[in-house]
Formats: sequence, structure tokens, C-alpha cells
Amino acid sequence: MTQSQMIQPAGSSAMTVATPPVGWKLDPALRAIILPAVTAAGLIALWEAAVPLLGIPHVLLPPPSAIAVRLVQLFFPLILQHAIPTILESLIAFVISSILGVVLAGVLSSSKIVREALYPNVVFFQLIPKIALAPLFIVWFGIGSESRIAFSIFISFFPVVVATLAGLDNVDRELLRLCKALRASEWQVFRDVRIPFAIPYMFSGMKIATTFSIIGIIVGEFVTSQAGLGYLILFASAQAETELIFAAITVLCIFGLVFYGLVAMAESYLRKKLGS
Amino acid sequence: MTTHATGSIPAIRSLKPLTDTSTPYISVESVRKVYHTADGDIEAVSKVDFDINSGDFVSILGPSGCGKSTLMMMMGGLETISSGRIVIGGEPVTAPRGDLGYVFQDPTLLPWNTVLENVLFPIRLRDGSTRKYHDRAQELLELVGLWEFRNKRPRQLSGGMRQRVAICRGLINDPALLLMDEPFSALDAISRDDMNAALADIWDRFHKTAIFITHSIREAVFLSDRILVMSRRPSTVCYDIRVDFPRPRRMEMQETLEFNELCGLLRKKIEEGYKVS
Ligand SMILES: Nc1ncnc2c1ncn2[C@@H]1O[C@H](COP(=O)(O)OP(=O)(O)OP(=O)(O)O)[C@@H](O)[C@H]1O
Ligand SMILES: [Mg+2]
Repeated sequence: MTQSQMIQPAGSSAMTVATPPVGWKLDPALRAIILPAVTAAGLIALWEAAVPLLGIPHVLLPPPSAIAVRLVQLFFPLILQHAIPTILESLIAFVISSILGVVLAGVLSSSKIVREALYPNVVFFQLIPKIALAPLFIVWFGIGSESRIAFSIFISFFPVVVATLAGLDNVDRELLRLCKALRASEWQVFRDVRIPFAIPYMFSGMKIATTFSIIGIIVGEFVTSQAGLGYLILFASAQAETELIFAAITVLCIFGLVFYGLVAMAESYLRKKLGS
Repeated sequence: MTTHATGSIPAIRSLKPLTDTSTPYISVESVRKVYHTADGDIEAVSKVDFDINSGDFVSILGPSGCGKSTLMMMMGGLETISSGRIVIGGEPVTAPRGDLGYVFQDPTLLPWNTVLENVLFPIRLRDGSTRKYHDRAQELLELVGLWEFRNKRPRQLSGGMRQRVAICRGLINDPALLLMDEPFSALDAISRDDMNAALADIWDRFHKTAIFITHSIREAVFLSDRILVMSRRPSTVCYDIRVDFPRPRRMEMQETLEFNELCGLLRKKIEEGYKVS
């Protein structure tokens, strides 16, 4: 009793000592957003200033302001028209590779034989420099969007499999013992314990898959282009339209960011709902 | 004895008195356990024999590594028995039984479920629907003072609160036997006293059979009807004593001479068991 009373004041004085010095009293959550944003703005300003100062020709490196002007000028309809197929195909590839990845991870984790037979091969497959296979997909699927989507799935489902499988496997041994004591079936353990446990892991794989699925579509567009931002970039580079290249890349970056953000939001929503 | 309005689900306060004690409820017969590991065999339990009557709260004391957890796992059907057998309610144990409750050293709650969902987890696994057991869950959570925390997640609770949730979960299916493996060893001394009082209180109403593993002599004496002392490996039961303090047990009991004498005696027995090997 007396001990806990003695500890109290010591603890509270430690708290006041730990308060950061005045001037950095920013909310840590706010700081986590403001600090990188300010850094990015600073770098863009530096770029803007460096181009005229160093006399860099705009064909080599246009300043951000020129890129912004070109983006606004050409956004409607040219850039938008090319952005739509890229975005749609990336989304389709992402959704399919997420589903495929999670299902495959489920199969691999629930059957020992399938896992032993399949997993080393899946891993080995990943050692192939996959970009080199893009032209093969055209041979198989033609020059339509199917080949790009198939290729994009091919490169983006693997991170989902690996991450989800890690989650399904890493379940607390004590929880598994409890399930055994309660005579839970394999399926119940899977549904009530393994899947909820694996959700954060699954999302970390899916976040990687957002980027990979866009890369897959862009590479596909480089190879068989009729439309899409990848096509636009190639086209602009042939015309030495560097500002347009950067404008297209800007749109891609914004899409990638929003895409990643949506997945992160879905994760935090689900986690809040599941309380994990 | 009145029964609860829900009918088929027995209410905690209406349990039947102790049943016939002529045949033991549990008998552990020459049980031995050898773990086969990469660095050779480990004899975790050498030869253990004892009977337990229905309705007894039995504690098992013994030095670390003497095979207490192993023995409990074998009773629960969670570990195979190398030789000998364990009979519970007339049936030899071969697999986990449906009428047992478990409380492990770690609360092992599902972090993504609420307190109430965790308590009902055994029922969800067994029946699919948990609706019929809500009243019982409420009764148990009220008993341990956690009903207003029913919608909280485990990580929002203290260690002692989590362990109380685990005890409620262990009791939800109205088990004939509750197995507890050092449920309070991770708690500080004050929470531990609270938990002991809470468990004694639960026990007075619940009054089934319990096996309670602990390192704390005082805890064992406070809670038990009977105490078994296990010796260090090769481990056997080296001392067996009944504890006839009146119930309900009160914290003040711990200040009495008899209580402290029994603690001293047990300490001596544990030391002897330690020297045996
Ligand atoms: N799964 C296992 N595989 C191999 N050896 C084991 C296993 N589980 C326990 N042992 C060994 O068996 C012996 C008894 O272990 P057990 O956990 O039953 O002891 P305990 O009495 O519960 O100890 P404590 O009081 O520390 O919990 C120990 O020497 C331990 O190393
Ligand atoms: Mg143990």
C-alpha cells in the first residue's frame, strides 16, 4: 500500500520531465504528416529553382511548374483517356491477384501435401526475372487487355501469397492448444483463429500488390501499346515531349497513392471492426 | 434447488451438491510420460498414482520442471500418455473431452474478439449459436466484476482482468472438471490476492471438481480441499494432504496459526521432494 503511494509522485514527476521542449509541441500524428509533406515541398521547390539556375534544357528536365501546366492543358481529354484503361486494368489485376493470393495461401496452409508439392515451385517461379516474360503473355493472350492483366496478376499475386501464408502459419501456439482443448475442427480453427490472425499480414501483402499491379499494367502497355499511360509515356518520349512524360508519371503517382491509401483505409476499418 | 428460467442451461447457483464419492471421479494410474526429443528422451513424469473425488478442489505443488503441466495436459487429452492410464468419469482419456474447462497460464484470449465473445468462444465452437448461453455468460462476468467490460477487447484490459475472462470462458460450458495451470503466476502479488478471493468465491457457488497447478503454497492452501506435492524429476506424487478449513474461505484465514503451520509443513515437504532426486 505505502509502496504504491510512494511510487505515484515519482511517476508523475517523470512525466513532466519527459515533456518535449517548447516549439516541438506538435501532435505526433500531425507531425507524421506535416514533416514529410514539408520535405517534399522543399525538394520540389529546389527542383523548380535548379532548372533555370543550372540552365537545364526542358527536354531533359522540365521544372515542376511546366509539368503542372502541361498536365492541366492536356488532362482533358488526352491524359484522362489514357489513364482510364490503366487504372481499370490495374484495379482488376489487383482484385484478382488478391483473391488468388489469399485462396492459394489458404490452400497451402491447410494441406501439408499440397504445400510440400507446390510451395517450393511457387518460390522457384519467383526467381525468374518476371519482366522478361511479358512478351510471352502477348503470345498467349494476344494484344488485348487480357494479356496485360494476366501479366500484372502474375507479378503481383506472389507477395499476397507469402504474406498471408506467414499470417496463417504464425498463429499463437497457445491459441491452437486452446482450440484443440475445445475440440475445434480444422475448419473452425481456420475460420475463427487463423484468418483473423492473418488479416494484418494479408493487408501488408496487398499493399505491395497495389504497386506491383500498376507496374505490371505499365510494362504490359510498354510492350503492346494502343492506349494507357504506359503507351502515352512511350509516345511522348518518341516525340521528345518530356513534360508530357512527367505529366503522365504524375497521374500514375497520384493513382498509386490513392490506391494504396484506399487499401490502407480498408485495413484500418477492418482492424477497428475486428479490434486487432 | 430452483432452476433457471432458461431450463436446459444450468444456472451457477443451482448446481447439485457433491455426488457419490465411493468411486473416484478421476483416477490416475501409474502414469508415465516420456518426451522424445532430438537430444534424447526426457522423462517428464515418472510414475504418478492418485484418485480424485468429485467436487474436490485439488492443487498440485512442485518444483519447476517436475511435470505438472505435462500431467495436466495428459488429463485434458492434450498430450499422449506414455504408459499407464487416466480415467475420468469412468472413461479412459484418449482425446480432449467436451465436459472440461481449461485455464492456462496465459489468458490466450482472441485479441480480435470482445470480452463477451471470448467467454462464449467454447460455445460458438461447440454449438455454432451462442444465444442460449448469454445469460450464463452475464452471470459469470458479473461474478468476476467484468460485465460492464463485455464489449471491450482483451488489450484494453489489465492482466488480472484478462485472466478473469479466461476463467469465465473455462466455466461457460458448465464443465464437470476445471483444469487450471498456474493461472495467476503472471500477476503481481496484489492482483493475485484479488484473483484468489475471486476464485474462492466462484468456487463456493460453482462447486465442481478442479485441478489447480501453482507454485504458491499459500494460494494452494487458501483454495484447496486437497493438495498433492510432486517431487523433482523423476517425478512422482510425494505428499498428499487434505485441507479442511471451513468454507467460504476468507482472506483473513491466511493470518491464522493453522494456516501458517500448514504452509510451513508443505514447504518442508516440497524441500524433501526436491532432495529426493
Ligand atoms: N513438448 C515437450 N517436448 C519435450 N520436452 C518437454 C515438453 N514439454 C515439457 N517438456 C519437459 O518435460 C519436463 C516437465 O515439463 P512441465 O512443463 O510439465 O513442467 P512443470 O512442472 O509444468 O514446470 P513449471 O512449473 O516450470 O511450469 C521439463 O523438463 C520440460 O523440459
Ligand atoms: Mg508448467
